[in-house]
Amino acid sequence: MVLDIVLAPLALEPQNFNVGDKVRVTVSFKYVVGINTTVKLFAGPYYTNIFGKHLVSSCVGEAELALPVASTPTPQTASVDFILIPQANGGIDNGTYGLRVWIEDTNAVAEQDNVIIVSGNAGSTDIFSSMMPMMMMLMMLGMVMPMVTGGEGEVE
Amino acid sequence: METKTLALDLGISGVLQEGEGQPEYTAGWYIDPQTGQRIFYDPNTQKFYTMEGGIYIPLGYMNPSPKQVTLAIGDKLRITMSFKYSGPAISSAVCYYSIGVYGTFGFDEKMVGQNSKSIPQYVTPTLVTDSYTFTIPSSVGTNWDDIYCKVYGGSPGVPQNLFGYENALLIAGTQPAITEFQISDFAKV
Repeated sequence: MVLDIVLAPLALEPQNFNVGDKVRVTVSFKYVVGINTTVKLFAGPYYTNIFGKHLVSSCVGEAELALPVASTPTPQTASVDFILIPQANGGIDNGTYGLRVWIEDTNAVAEQDNVIIVSGNAGSTDIFSSMMPMMMMLMMLGMVMPMVTGGEGEVE
Repeated sequence: METKTLALDLGISGVLQEGEGQPEYTAGWYIDPQTGQRIFYDPNTQKFYTMEGGIYIPLGYMNPSPKQVTLAIGDKLRITMSFKYSGPAISSAVCYYSIGVYGTFGFDEKMVGQNSKSIPQYVTPTLVTDSYTFTIPSSVGTNWDDIYCKVYGGSPGVPQNLFGYENALLIAGTQPAITEFQISDFAKV
């Protein structure tokens, strides 16, 4: 038996950005629609933690896109810009983020992890990420210790 | 007294081959080694079938669609079902058709239609066809992209048999239906 596995390359290469940069995202798709319509295209960075993926909503950009009637699958490209607002202004922290693009009220969503590398926030240390392992260990100790010492602390 | 033997040839060809180098199967009955189920292979359609109540149906219920039909409001969609049947004549079997949304909780029927079908007696598996035509309404949803059909009932009764296709339709409704959505590029501007 021949094991024939081809590792597909990542569709997008990670890129470095500074806070304050404007990022332009280009998408391609096919569509059909029975009437002339307009849709909203959104794009923005997201981060991932143990609770899932979270958009950095302050950095999400949007663009309107007109779709003429098309009764057969029609190729279309579109672009949308978003700005990496500095953390000091309620924006994005230094770190590595994914990129998500979607069209409102449709099933069109595309995303890729770890392609936006952000730097340039003065004095940022990403405290939460660096302290996460220690916090997890303390939480586990907090759960385990009462079981280990169970009963010994009871005084009649 | 001479002893006579009644010989029944069930025509079982063999056991399905697993893994590499699957042979080209010839028409006939096989045994699925996973389930022990007897299944029939038709080289013309290159599909395996089970037989229930005399009707040969493809394995599985919902299957990837071999093609996608684009429809707009007001268009007509004709669905044709076919199956092989051998057995007694059946009167008033129901050939049932539906367009809808197939998901985790089953098939959500959005449009349905049915025909009453009488099938003559056949002693060998014989192809039977039936069709129904839907008109796409203005209220169509872009997610009405699945279809299924079934045949059941009649006298004598035919056990219900289902078969359907996922993503068989691409609806040009009031909301756009989008496919192949992907990020082409991103860069600082």
